[in-house]
Amino acid sequence: VNMSYMNKILWVDLSKRTSCVESLPDELKIHYIGGKGFGIERLTEIFPKGDPFEEQNPLIFGTGPLTGTIAPCMRACVVSKSPLTGTFCDSYFGGHFGQEIKYAGYDVIIVTGRAEEPTYLFIEDDRVEIRKANHLWGKETDAVYHEIKKELGDATIKVSCIGPAGEKKVRFAMIDCDFHRHAGRGGLGAVMGSKNLKAVALKGTHLISVYDPERFAKAVWEANEALKGSEGTRALTQGGTVGACFDFSNSMGFLPVKNFSGGVLKPEIMEKVEIAQHQNKLWLRDNACAGCPIRCAKIGRIREGAYKDTICDNIEYETLGLMAGNLEWMDLGAISFTNWLCDNLGIDTMSVGAVIGFTMEAFERGILTKKDLDGLEPRFGESATTIELIRKIARREGIGDILAEGVQIASERIGKGSDELAVHVKGLESPAWGPRGSSGMGLAYMTGDRGGCHQRAFPIAWESLGQGPQGDKLEPLSQDKKAELVAWEQNLLAAYYSLVSCEFGRTGISTAIYLHLLSGATGLEFNETEFLKVGERIWNRTRLYNNGNGVTRKDDYLPKRFEEPIPDGPHKGHCFTRADQDRLLDEYYKIRGWDSNGVPTSEKLKELGIDKRT
Amino acid sequence: VGLHKRGSPKGSVMMKILTDFSKCTECRICELACSFKTFAGFNPRYACLTVRLSKDGLVAEPMVCIHCQNPACMKVCPVSAITRDEATGAVVIDENQCTGCQKCIESCYYGAVRFHSEKKKAFKCNLCYGQPECVRYCPTGALQVTEVQK
Repeated sequence: VNMSYMNKILWVDLSKRTSCVESLPDELKIHYIGGKGFGIERLTEIFPKGDPFEEQNPLIFGTGPLTGTIAPCMRACVVSKSPLTGTFCDSYFGGHFGQEIKYAGYDVIIVTGRAEEPTYLFIEDDRVEIRKANHLWGKETDAVYHEIKKELGDATIKVSCIGPAGEKKVRFAMIDCDFHRHAGRGGLGAVMGSKNLKAVALKGTHLISVYDPERFAKAVWEANEALKGSEGTRALTQGGTVGACFDFSNSMGFLPVKNFSGGVLKPEIMEKVEIAQHQNKLWLRDNACAGCPIRCAKIGRIREGAYKDTICDNIEYETLGLMAGNLEWMDLGAISFTNWLCDNLGIDTMSVGAVIGFTMEAFERGILTKKDLDGLEPRFGESATTIELIRKIARREGIGDILAEGVQIASERIGKGSDELAVHVKGLESPAWGPRGSSGMGLAYMTGDRGGCHQRAFPIAWESLGQGPQGDKLEPLSQDKKAELVAWEQNLLAAYYSLVSCEFGRTGISTAIYLHLLSGATGLEFNETEFLKVGERIWNRTRLYNNGNGVTRKDDYLPKRFEEPIPDGPHKGHCFTRADQDRLLDEYYKIRGWDSNGVPTSEKLKELGIDKRT
Repeated sequence: VGLHKRGSPKGSVMMKILTDFSKCTECRICELACSFKTFAGFNPRYACLTVRLSKDGLVAEPMVCIHCQNPACMKVCPVSAITRDEATGAVVIDENQCTGCQKCIESCYYGAVRFHSEKKKAFKCNLCYGQPECVRYCPTGALQVTEVQK
């Protein structure tokens, strides 16, 4: 039975203009649960290798067994091969679109092929319609939402769409999901653009039932109570991710400052961008994703300055770090406006912050000149020129065409030693958590399956406490026990991403409670060991996928920048040497059961029940 | 909560769900709690209340049945399937009698009566006969129960 699954996968082929339904195999549920697990399983099968812009690269919209129910903090994901990293990529989004996939009667929607002309999909339960989108092409995301809902005559339809950046295949274009929640990282919006697919609109009238309603309701209550009692949750509720993290990160020297050179913000900038400024000058109310009591998002209106009266979502920690820190912007209105602009153009604010930081430093060093930059002079601390540059990137105009490739490819094309300024792992621009004060974080970036990402393991949380998950002592700067910690957390998160749960739920909800929710909803019983095993299976499959696409040990190193000593903050002088990284990798591969080149051994695969051929 | 259980004088007070849009976060937990209670499954389309969003997204407002004093839905029902529950004051539909003509739906200004497309019946809020699930689950206090004198 497995009640809260819809037990269907919808396949849409845009080239052939056909669709069909596959019933969801039970084996898939038991081995992979949902979300990320389903994603890697199908991606491997459909598109083991090739250019991400080839029409067979699938766009897999995946949900989990708890998505769409009242279990708190559930999301959905998009899985595809990333044009930014050339690796497996899973990108998660909140909002309301993922839930509607379930209500339409599907666990997964797989889109392959390429439409001949601009197109959007309208899926209403069993009915799949491929509609023209010529009139939407070139339009920004806000407009696309409104026009599609108006055209279909129903404001309750849920939409995901790309902006101009996705159409232009900007390698860090994102998919905007109803409403302004993003499958943000890894450029999956460009994959959507390469398919000439402007949007997916959904309307579903199915009810999601659960296996044991009483038990499920009890687990939901337990989860909600756990969130209420958690200080971490309360911080997110009150101040969003900025309130919960920004001060801490600055005081620890983790912020990216001036293209990831430093880790501490100038006090005069901090004063202008601290949490109270957001609360007093931007926010109007809390805003939650479907079924989420945490409500870390806020919505408001810019109330002063050059960009006033723009209606804005909250600036998220990562965006603030990569703009106030990495670009040294002190105009909060400009940051909020840029956030809004990036959402509308459909590009990832995180990669934008890193790409612009790279451009500013290259300009400062004379690697890029005013002439190269179409007459623009992007300088740290200055926002107006940059906003112009962002528009150029989204439409691939002039220098924007090169920067739209992301820092890795752009630096290869620019040359002149600019690769030393390109801060990324496997092509994914670094997030706003400098790793030089946290050895585990460095290893997490090195080994992240979609590139250098803070969401595949977040050892900072443990290292800053000085204590590991089992209560064992941890030294932040030491390499001891970090491989173990990173591998464990990667497995755990991979399993969570199969539910599909938002990581902020973990601020209150324990794994035991998540497993109660899962068994109440589906009847599938997992203990914590088995749950971790699912995560480990998923993680090994993403590694195999990446190995098959050329990733080996050579790709598992940090960018040059983090080999330079950090100039400020409590960890001043610390950096990662090549030897440090080698030691971390050796230990990590060993714990993983991978060979010294970072390839899973056949014994490990056998243990996890993975068939090497797939 | 739970007026009838506390044995308040029958018919002298009635329950209402008070809404405060400024506290609503658009999480739609109320809708999920309602559809689960009403139809044993999750989908906001099967909830008796809806969260309506302003076009600019700045305002989310829960739209609940106010069980009005002069209910048009009750008056237009050709088979008298809509009555008032004396214990709570709720305006309720008897599903067995409903013919699915949708006249009640057309006549409700609030959009508080909805149509179940499979059952071909109208459905609406019945205040869970005293313990509204939406209020119980609302994480912010945007929904609250109050008693008013008739």
